[in-house]
Amino acid sequence: MKIFRWLAAALLTLVIAVILMVRTIGSGLGEMSVANGNWVTNVSTGSADAGVMLKATIAIGGLLASTRENSMYYRLNSVAGESLRLNCRYRIAGDDYDADWWSITAYGWDNYLIPNKQKRYSFNNENIVRREDGSWVITIASEQQAGNWLPVGPSGAPTWRKLPDYDFDLLLRLYTPGRSYLEQPQSAALPTVTVEGCS
Amino acid sequence: MKWLKWCVGVFLCAWVGQYLLAMVVPNLVMELVYHRGGKLMEYNTLAVRPRPDESMRLVVRPSPDLLYANCIYNLEQGPLIIQAPVPKRYWSMQFYQMNTNNFAGITNQRDERDRVGTVVNVTLIGPDKNAADYPGEVIQSPTQRGMLLLRASAIGDDTASRAALEQSSCRPA
Repeated sequence: MKIFRWLAAALLTLVIAVILMVRTIGSGLGEMSVANGNWVTNVSTGSADAGVMLKATIAIGGLLASTRENSMYYRLNSVAGESLRLNCRYRIAGDDYDADWWSITAYGWDNYLIPNKQKRYSFNNENIVRREDGSWVITIASEQQAGNWLPVGPSGAPTWRKLPDYDFDLLLRLYTPGRSYLEQPQSAALPTVTVEGCS
Repeated sequence: MKWLKWCVGVFLCAWVGQYLLAMVVPNLVMELVYHRGGKLMEYNTLAVRPRPDESMRLVVRPSPDLLYANCIYNLEQGPLIIQAPVPKRYWSMQFYQMNTNNFAGITNQRDERDRVGTVVNVTLIGPDKNAADYPGEVIQSPTQRGMLLLRASAIGDDTASRAALEQSSCRPA
């Protein structure tokens, strides 16, 4: 009888440990994450000094990420605390950034590129259509939009596997970022994302 | 009261246990990629990947603005020679060990701009080898197995980037 009690306790411990780990990983990039508006980054991504939870988070949601000297990754999965939804339309407004090149990519909740007929998954500093002053606007929506439209839709993985609260997220890559990103990732210039409306 | 002690004990063990489990996750994920990748390509050879789209699901979060080539390596049989022409636009060669650490990297950016137009020639050796025994540029992997990833800009005209990756190689020394 005593052995069954110990076995049950061990099993319960394992289940709770898994739940706690999944919750921690699902909550973001770990304790060392840095917020800049709605964007979140982690300066230890890819490096040997990354914490245990960050390494696990990156392994699941960003495997083979480079260290920040090579590229910095800012992730956004909510705007003003509201998770990104497929039934909403979002506006990203930006300019140019102190990096060799940059791109903004939409990923499904399953961490893969979102299937779409247009085969458009991102915009970068070269293919984006700009205004006369060099600034630009991207519209993210599941329905076709004028201008720089980044289509989103259901992720490729079956919905029963969905754990995150958001339907998709955005990843801003800054390759060979300038000093402002390396030294002040919490305040360096980034695009602003706003909700235009939800159906 | 005895039940309370059990509950506290289970929760404390679980709290510590989540970190122990998290320590295993990167190795598990890399093992999965190592073995799944091994079914798609030979180890110790370089494979140039098609431009990423929604069908690319070997590694999470591929960038559609990059071209990739990878070499899943196993150094048990000896070092590897990696050769790669360096294009003008963004390019990098990154090395990952089996716990996902990006332990070494070469790029054509910043103070490495002089690599543009040259051919990188790297000897990748295992943790049990002595770097001083090998000529030229030597990178020592902390683990016998791991992955080399070449990235090249696919923005705009990707002809030069694609050619650079296709002319690259990863082979036993």
